[in-house]
Amino acid sequence: MYNLLIKEFKIGVLPTFLIMPVLTGALMFVPGWIYFIVLLYFCWITIPNMFAGFRSQNDLMFTFMLPVTKKDIVKAKVYVIVILELMHIVIAMIFGMISNGLYSNITYYFFEPHMGFWGLCFVMFGIFNIIFIAKFYKTAYKYGEAIFVAVGAAMLFAGVAQWLGIQSPFLHDIFYGDGLDNMALQASILIVGIAIFIAFTMIAYRVAIKRFPKVEI
Amino acid sequence: MLALDIRNLNKAYPNFQLQNVSFQLEKGYIMGFIGANGAGKTTTIKSILNMLHIDSGEVLILGKNIAEHEIELKQEIGYAFGDIDFYTRSKIKTLTDVIKKFYKNWNDETYYNYLRRFKLDENKKIAELSTGMKVKYNLALALSHGAKLLVLDEPTSGLDPVARDNLLEIFQELVVDGEVSILFSTHITSDLEKCADYITFIVNGQIVKSSEKEEFIESYRLLNGKESQLEQVKDQLISYKKNSFGFTGLIHSKDFDPSSEINAAIPSLEEIMIYFSKKEDSYV
Repeated sequence: MYNLLIKEFKIGVLPTFLIMPVLTGALMFVPGWIYFIVLLYFCWITIPNMFAGFRSQNDLMFTFMLPVTKKDIVKAKVYVIVILELMHIVIAMIFGMISNGLYSNITYYFFEPHMGFWGLCFVMFGIFNIIFIAKFYKTAYKYGEAIFVAVGAAMLFAGVAQWLGIQSPFLHDIFYGDGLDNMALQASILIVGIAIFIAFTMIAYRVAIKRFPKVEI
Repeated sequence: MLALDIRNLNKAYPNFQLQNVSFQLEKGYIMGFIGANGAGKTTTIKSILNMLHIDSGEVLILGKNIAEHEIELKQEIGYAFGDIDFYTRSKIKTLTDVIKKFYKNWNDETYYNYLRRFKLDENKKIAELSTGMKVKYNLALALSHGAKLLVLDEPTSGLDPVARDNLLEIFQELVVDGEVSILFSTHITSDLEKCADYITFIVNGQIVKSSEKEEFIESYRLLNGKESQLEQVKDQLISYKKNSFGFTGLIHSKDFDPSSEINAAIPSLEEIMIYFSKKEDSYV
């Protein structure tokens, strides 16, 4: 499994995808933006390009011929996705903190980058993973449709969450103004978000390892 | 001991099926796997490597069932797919560093010996290698992790005659000490005349014959006769072609009566392949 991860990062994942978290993370400096978009760039750019790369380099056959189990093949790919997602979130979080300090006097129409918001971002990635990973491993080949549906669901979640954050007085109180100072509440949203992310990703992995052995290479 | 033992392999697709494919390869020999394009060579090879879900049958490699001992056996199998490249933008060095970690019997010394012998430059990218060099690189990898069975799908297709001859010589050297066995599929039959010990011939998903090369060729005769003689043997012929001088046709040696006045010659593998495919056509 460790060897497979080394393989992914040495030949499968291009260095560009490792720089992307910094590049997209820098968008946190756009004052008062829709910060969900910063993370959605991962789903829009990194995932499609990375999986196109796997396909054009015949990664499936290459990996299959190595003495490794099918379960580990899936596990390594899930790890790659999760590691990149974490890089995107953590770097965006750091830039978000700096951005918060830089612009103290602006009005945030959209979610301000606080812990509660990052909790929602984890849920968004969780939704992306559960659809993308599970759907992709039906064929281990056709990534287009899987990405299309997964990105759609992630964006729908982000859109609805943002809309409710503005429209619903209850949610507005949590994600805007004084609610942001309630550290316990913010931290618990983040923790719940992370828990959902882990749960969804693990379900995705379980479904994928059931589907992948049925694939003919 | 058998390096490869395939028993009654069946795999059905909507428009094609492998039917009761069985053949055996003794350890330390080269088997040529021939058949026209689309005859089922690659499907059989993919089944051997457990890439497909076969409907029924068994594949034993070095006495062990591939379906049950896949990971263990992959340590002992080397492969090259002539028409598929992997990670072409990576350097040989990078790719080898990644690959070698997976094999418990990897030997760096052997690897560098083969690189020198095959004149492979570690710093070249896969995309910069010629087709022949790519096959050699795959062989170097396989031999460095101590592969006992080499499964090569069309390794010589797309190579010039010099590169092909060179590769065939390498194949023969590899099997000399009896440890390594090679199964290689091809539609270039002259390759097999040079180096194969056994021939397995597949037509339309079914094995027509699998035997030692001389026996394989000996079991057919190519007849050359006048049109008036055609009627005598027409029913026994596998297939025939008419021309202005008469006919030529392929027949099983056992069906041929040497006392008849028809000229009989020993066919080449290519002729056997052609006449069998003609027979298939006539059924359509």
